[in-house]
Amino acid sequence: MSERPFFVGYLGLPRGLRFMTLALAVSLLIGGGLLATVIARAKDDPGPGTFRFDYGRQTVTGIVALTPTPILHVTKGSEHIEAGRTLMLSGQGKNGALLRARALEGRLANASGILLTRGDLDMMQLVCGEAGLGPADGDAPMAPEPEDLGRWELAGEICDGKCAAGAMRPGTGIAHKACASLCILNGLPPVFISTRPIEGETFLLIAGTPEDPMPPELYDWVAEYVALKGQIVRHGDLLVLDIDTATLERTP
Amino acid sequence: MSVRYIPVQWNRFKWGYDAALLASVGVFLWAFLRVTPEDLGHERDVSGAIRNARAFGACAFVMLTGILCIGPLARLDTRFLPLLYNRRHFGVVTAAVALTHFSFVLDWYFAFSPAGKYEALLFANTSFTNGVAGFPFEAFGIFALLSLLILAATSHDFWMKFLTPPVWKGLHYLIYPAYAAVVAHVAWGALLDQENTTFAWVVHVGALLVVGLHLGAALSGRDAAKPRTAGWVDAGDPATIPEGRARIVTLASGDRVAVFRHEGALSAISNACAHQNGPLGEGRIIDCLVTCPWHGFQYDVRTGRSPAPFTEKVPTYALRLEGGRLLVSPDADPPGTPQRPVPVHRGRTT
Repeated sequence: MSERPFFVGYLGLPRGLRFMTLALAVSLLIGGGLLATVIARAKDDPGPGTFRFDYGRQTVTGIVALTPTPILHVTKGSEHIEAGRTLMLSGQGKNGALLRARALEGRLANASGILLTRGDLDMMQLVCGEAGLGPADGDAPMAPEPEDLGRWELAGEICDGKCAAGAMRPGTGIAHKACASLCILNGLPPVFISTRPIEGETFLLIAGTPEDPMPPELYDWVAEYVALKGQIVRHGDLLVLDIDTATLERTP
Repeated sequence: MSVRYIPVQWNRFKWGYDAALLASVGVFLWAFLRVTPEDLGHERDVSGAIRNARAFGACAFVMLTGILCIGPLARLDTRFLPLLYNRRHFGVVTAAVALTHFSFVLDWYFAFSPAGKYEALLFANTSFTNGVAGFPFEAFGIFALLSLLILAATSHDFWMKFLTPPVWKGLHYLIYPAYAAVVAHVAWGALLDQENTTFAWVVHVGALLVVGLHLGAALSGRDAAKPRTAGWVDAGDPATIPEGRARIVTLASGDRVAVFRHEGALSAISNACAHQNGPLGEGRIIDCLVTCPWHGFQYDVRTGRSPAPFTEKVPTYALRLEGGRLLVSPDADPPGTPQRPVPVHRGRTT
């Protein structure tokens, strides 16, 4: 049998175990720090999307349209939002802006809030109440005529437009699936991030019906890499994708 | 050992153990959180809540892996026994770190919604039958967290007395499914998402280490062949048992018996400590009492009873000699039953 010193906690460390125990404690400290650094340095780039708090609150005027997710064709811009842009609209937190936008469909409205941007994805988080989205004086000019771009075969990820735009970093991927589903259920714009640009655009707004802003069959596919076919229509500078749910399949 | 329940029986070693543990957790979190996007060449940082959730989650995984390595390490090399002595504090701190990870996740991914956070946690992702990739990995995490909280809440000796040691021990085997759930939680959540494979390597190596050490400990502690008959069991030449130490003998029933030599005489008690089933036969006799190597519980080797005022008792076994060989009775006597020690003379028993 080994003649090693016998350890009993309440009697204190025997002399022969003191160095070993001290070495273990030091290893735990240093090893923990090194391991944490290795893991932390392995994180992927969350992307450039972000709230543009540095721009301050932006107020624009435009025509409200529903896909049925609310969008705004900007007719009178602000310092950082040019006229002619099309913005997706969201409420605060995980709240959509559909209820406020329904009454204003096809009408001229003032929208005010914080801009979120990620590449070609522009979204405005509206401030509360009519201060965020309310009727504007004057007649609404004609909204841009939707342009049918035909049926496309795409690969990419379904997610919510607000987190993907930078409300969360990362705001895409499997770990974000529950959050994305919750956002979409609460009326935030569902978007499709294509692995290759379509007519120069990577982010496509997913079309739904007045009852279901996103087809219910799509929830099980949120945050996964999928291949699908669908009809793409251009609304201003925003592409809207009507997914043929029968064509959905997972990609490796 | 204590005759009354107090929150923690502090001693100098426990203070040192907890200080080293908390310092290590602090260093881990500090090192994780100090990595900036500039270090990685990223334009923007991960959201603060997500970064914190990742730091505490990674820390909990590493701690749980460490906890599960301590047991087999101590079996393979007794110099690791000091790590085992205060392992329950390690477990409680791990549960607290895991709970903090959960809080960051809940207050970020499931907050800011008209639905309640806990409600949203249950309904936001229900793709249980829709393939592997989108499986709600949150379910694994919830199971693991609840398990860790139950184990932490019942870690005090009061609960072991209240539940009885076999039930308590059985309950605390929950740590193994909890660890499996943590690995699944990490694999389905973090690993499926990441392009960088470093954390995947950390998780795989950690899980393999746990499995490998347990297999190694199981193989090294394998019993000699069990006797085929249920009669008295040959414990070998009694003269070869060192003074103050034990030889462990396995009965046909699978029960293990520790045969100790003390002051020139042999006595046999159950190998399982009444406290947490620690291997008494790997302990030593200190101050005339068998001392468990795990937590220092003590027993009179002739009676299987802890010294007054303590009340723990373990079963005892009768011994006899036959042809110079020591034989152990296959039947345990009730815990605390006195046995007559068998004397050893000049390397031989009489």
